[in-house]
Amino acid sequence: MGRLTDLLNYGPISPFRLRTKLLLLALTTLALPWAGCQYAREMETVLRESEQQSLLAVTTTIAGSLKGRQELLFRADSLPGGEASNPRDLTPVVLSGAPLIDGRADEWDTDARNLIRVAGPGTDSLRLLAATHERWLYLALLVRDNRLVFDASELAPLDRDTLGDRIWLAFDDKRGGQQRLFFGGTGVGALRGRYIETLEYGREQALEEPRIEAVWQRTRNDDGYVLEIGIPLSMVGQHLGVLIDDRDRRGAARVSYGTLDPSDLRATGRLIAASPDLGEHLRQFSQPGVELTVASATGAILTRMDAPALPGDYTRFRGFLPRMYRLFLDGDVIPRSVTQAERERAAQSLTERAVKGAPATALIAGRYENSVTVAAAAPIFSADGKHIIGVIQLAQTADRWLTLRDRALTRLLNLTLFATLFAVGAAFWFAGRMTLRITRLGHASETALGREGNLSRVLPESNAKDELGDLSRSFSSLLGRLDEYTGYLRTLAGKLAHEIRTPLTIIRSSLENLESEANSDNARIYIARAREGSERLGAILTAMGAATKVEEAIAHSERQRFDLAALVRAAVGAYGTAFPERRFTCEAPAEPVMLTGAPDLIVQLLDKLIDNAVDFSADGATIAVSLRVDDESAELSVANPGPPLPDETATRLFESLWQSRSEADRRPHFGLGLYIVRLITEFHGGSARAANLPDASGAVFTVRLPR
Amino acid sequence: MKKSIAIVEDERAIRDNYAAAFAREGYAVRGYPNRREALSAFAARLPDLAVIDISLEDEPEGGFELCRQLRGLSAELPIIFLTARDSELDAVSGLRLGADDFLTKDLSLAHLIARVNALFRRVDALRRPAEEKQVIRRGALSLDSERMTVEWNGQVVLLSLTEFWIVYALTKHPGHVKNRQQLMDAANVVLDDNTITSHIKRVRRKFQAVDEKFDAVHTVYGMGYRWVE
Repeated sequence: MGRLTDLLNYGPISPFRLRTKLLLLALTTLALPWAGCQYAREMETVLRESEQQSLLAVTTTIAGSLKGRQELLFRADSLPGGEASNPRDLTPVVLSGAPLIDGRADEWDTDARNLIRVAGPGTDSLRLLAATHERWLYLALLVRDNRLVFDASELAPLDRDTLGDRIWLAFDDKRGGQQRLFFGGTGVGALRGRYIETLEYGREQALEEPRIEAVWQRTRNDDGYVLEIGIPLSMVGQHLGVLIDDRDRRGAARVSYGTLDPSDLRATGRLIAASPDLGEHLRQFSQPGVELTVASATGAILTRMDAPALPGDYTRFRGFLPRMYRLFLDGDVIPRSVTQAERERAAQSLTERAVKGAPATALIAGRYENSVTVAAAAPIFSADGKHIIGVIQLAQTADRWLTLRDRALTRLLNLTLFATLFAVGAAFWFAGRMTLRITRLGHASETALGREGNLSRVLPESNAKDELGDLSRSFSSLLGRLDEYTGYLRTLAGKLAHEIRTPLTIIRSSLENLESEANSDNARIYIARAREGSERLGAILTAMGAATKVEEAIAHSERQRFDLAALVRAAVGAYGTAFPERRFTCEAPAEPVMLTGAPDLIVQLLDKLIDNAVDFSADGATIAVSLRVDDESAELSVANPGPPLPDETATRLFESLWQSRSEADRRPHFGLGLYIVRLITEFHGGSARAANLPDASGAVFTVRLPR
Repeated sequence: MKKSIAIVEDERAIRDNYAAAFAREGYAVRGYPNRREALSAFAARLPDLAVIDISLEDEPEGGFELCRQLRGLSAELPIIFLTARDSELDAVSGLRLGADDFLTKDLSLAHLIARVNALFRRVDALRRPAEEKQVIRRGALSLDSERMTVEWNGQVVLLSLTEFWIVYALTKHPGHVKNRQQLMDAANVVLDDNTITSHIKRVRRKFQAVDEKFDAVHTVYGMGYRWVE
C-alpha cells in the first residue's frame, strides 16, 4: 500500500525502463533449457552407443556359445553338410504359435528368406512357404493357376494321366527311402494326402496317409488355390520337395513344375530347420525387451524369439509438452515410422553384413510411431572358425531409454522453465524495487532544494548499505554543503545591509551638514540628487533586511485565538483606501472563523499577497480575496487578473529572492514578499501555492492554514 | 550656558558629522571614540545628554556597558542609543538598561535634533512643578505632554521617547485610527512596519505590567491602531 501511494505521489517517472532491461536480462536464463537439450542429446548419443555396444556384446556372446554347435542350430536330419546351397533348400520359419490349417497362410509370420518361388508355364507360378512350430512342419503352397480343374483321381487315383490339378509332396523317410504323397483337389475343404503302395504282383493301390493334415482353398481373388499342409517333423528326413502337376485338358501335355525332379518325383532340396533344442538353448539368453533371431548362413530365419514384455510402463511420454520437446530434440537421429517391409529389409541387410563375417549394429525404426529398435547381429562360426554356419541377431526396443530421456528432459525443461519464470519474477520485483528506490531518492533530492529554502538533509535510503545508500549519503553531504552555502547566502543580504548602513550614514549625515551650509544653487541641486540616491540606497537596505526582520518577528510572535473572517474583511476594506486605483472583492463566511496564530503576521501575509496582486494587475482591475473554510483548514486566496505565471515558477515563487518580473520597476524588489508569505504560512503550519486562473486570465495565490 | 552633548561613536566621520550638526544647533559637543575615553571624561564632568553607539571599537556591546555605568552615575541623564543595529533584541536590551530612546542611524539629522530638543525640554519640564493644563486625561490614563510622562491608574508607566510619542498620537483623538505612517510622523521616526508593530507590542506590555487587564490599544487590521477607552 505504501509502495502504491509512493508511486502515485512520485508519478509516472518512467518506472519501466530499468525494469524492462532487467526483464530482458532475466530472459537469458532461457539459455538453460537450450543447454539442457544439448546435454540431453549428447547424453542420448552416448546412451544409444553404449546400448548398441552392450547389445553387440551380448550378441557376440550368444554367437560364441553357438560356435561349432551345428547340432544345436539345425535339426539332426537337416544338418547342412558340405553340399553347396541349393535353390530348392527350404528353410522353415519358426512360428510362435501353431497356425490354423485352413487354407489361408495370412497368419504366418513369414519372411522373404523362407519363401521359394517357382515359375510355371504362362502366368502360372508356385510360392512355397514353410514353417515349424514345436514338432510340426507346415507348408503352404500358393499356386497361381489360369485354369482350375479338379482332380479326378477320386475315380481313378492311380491313373497317372488323369485330368486335373494334382500336387506331389516327396520327402525322405526315416528308413532311408523317400515317401511320395499326392493331393488331388476335389473341392474346398480338408483332404488327405495319399501314397501309392505297391502290393504283391505289382499291384498298386492309393492309401491315405492319416498323420498328415491338409486343407485346400481357393485364393481370395480367385486366380488359383492354396494348399496348407501340416506334417509331423518326425516323419521328415533331410530332403523335401513339392511338384505341381497340371493337366487342364484331356490329350494336352501334362505340365509339372516345383522343387521335385519331374521325372522320378525325387526330392533333392534340403529341409534346413532349426533344432528343437535351439529354442531351449536361446531361452537362457532371453531378456525383457530383446527379440532374438537366428538365421542360417543363407540368411533364412531359423528361429525367432519374441521379446518378453518389459517390466514397467515404458510407453513414451505423451502430451503437449513432451511432443514440443521432441520436435526439436529428435531431429535426424530417429527415423520416422516405416512400413513392415522396410523394417524387414533393414533387418535383412544387417544379417547380410553379419554373414560377411563381422558383427554389426543398426538402428531400425520400430513398429510404432517414434519407436526405435536397436539391433545387433553377429556371425556364428563353425568349430574350426573357417565357415559361417549362421547368424544371430538381437533387437531391443529403444523405447526404454528414449522414455528415460524424455522423462529427464521433461523434468529438466519444466524445472528450467520454472526457474526462468522465477528469475523473471525476481528480476521484475528487484527492478521494481530498485526503480522505486531510485525514484524516491531522485524525488527527495529534487524536492530537498525545491521548496525549502532550508534544506532537509535526511534523504531516504541513507541507511542502506548498498550503492544506493552510498549515493544517498553523498547526496546528503552535497545537500549539506549546499545548505551551508544557501544559509550563507540567506544571511548575506542582512549582513551586507548592516555593513553598508555605516558608510551610508556617513554620506547622509555629511549631506545634511552640507545642506545647512550656504551653498550655490547648483550645489543644492547636486546635494538634492545625492540625497535622493542615498535614500534609495537606504530603501534597498531596508528591503534586504526585511526577511531577517520577519524571521525575527516570527520568533517573537505570540499565538492567540482570533477571528480570521473578521480580520480578512477588515483588511480588505482597508486596501480599498490604500490602493484606490484597484477594486477589491471579499468573499468570507459570515460566522467567525476562529484560528490560533499571530493576527499581525496574517495581516502582513495578506499585505504581501495584495502587494503582489496589485503589482501584477493593471489600473481598474478587480482583485478577488476569498476565504473558504472546512473542518480542518482555512484557505485564503488572492486572485488577480494579469499575465499568467510561467509554469516552472509555481513552486519557486515562494523561494527567497525569486521574482518573476519582466518590466523595469523603480522600487526595490527582492522577491521577498512571497518568501515572507511562506515564512508566515509555515509559522502557522500551513502551505502556500500559486496557480494560474483556469482561463489563464491571471494568477491566484492560495494559503492553506490548519485550524 | 550651552547644553553639552557627548557623542560616543567609534566611526570618526559619523561622530564629527553629528557633532557639527549639534554644534550648529547651539550645543557644546564632545566626541569619544570608545568607552574608556568616554568614562574618564564623564568621571570629571557629566554631559547634559549622551548619544551612544552600541558597538564601540573592540567592544561589540560596549555601548550597553557604558549605558549601565552612565545610569549608575546619574539617574536623570537622558541617554539615546544611536546604532546601525536595528534588531528587536538590541532595542529591548538598550531600553531595559534605562535609555530614553533607541534610534537607528537611518534617522535624519533633523529628526535626531528634534528628539534631542524634546529630551532637553522634558528634563526642563521635570525640574518645574507639574502644570495641570498640559495633562491629558483619558480614563485611567493621564499623560503629561510637557514632561513626557504617562500614568495609568496613578502608576507611572516608563516609556521611551518614541513610545511616548506613539501613545500621545493615539490618545490625542481617542477612537480615531492612526495608521503606521501617522504614528511614524508623530514619533519623528522612519520605521518599517515590523518595528512599528514591535513598538506597539512593547507599549501594550508596559501598560500590562501595571495593569494586567489593559486593552486600550486596538489593532485595526490593514489600517493601523486606535486608542479605545
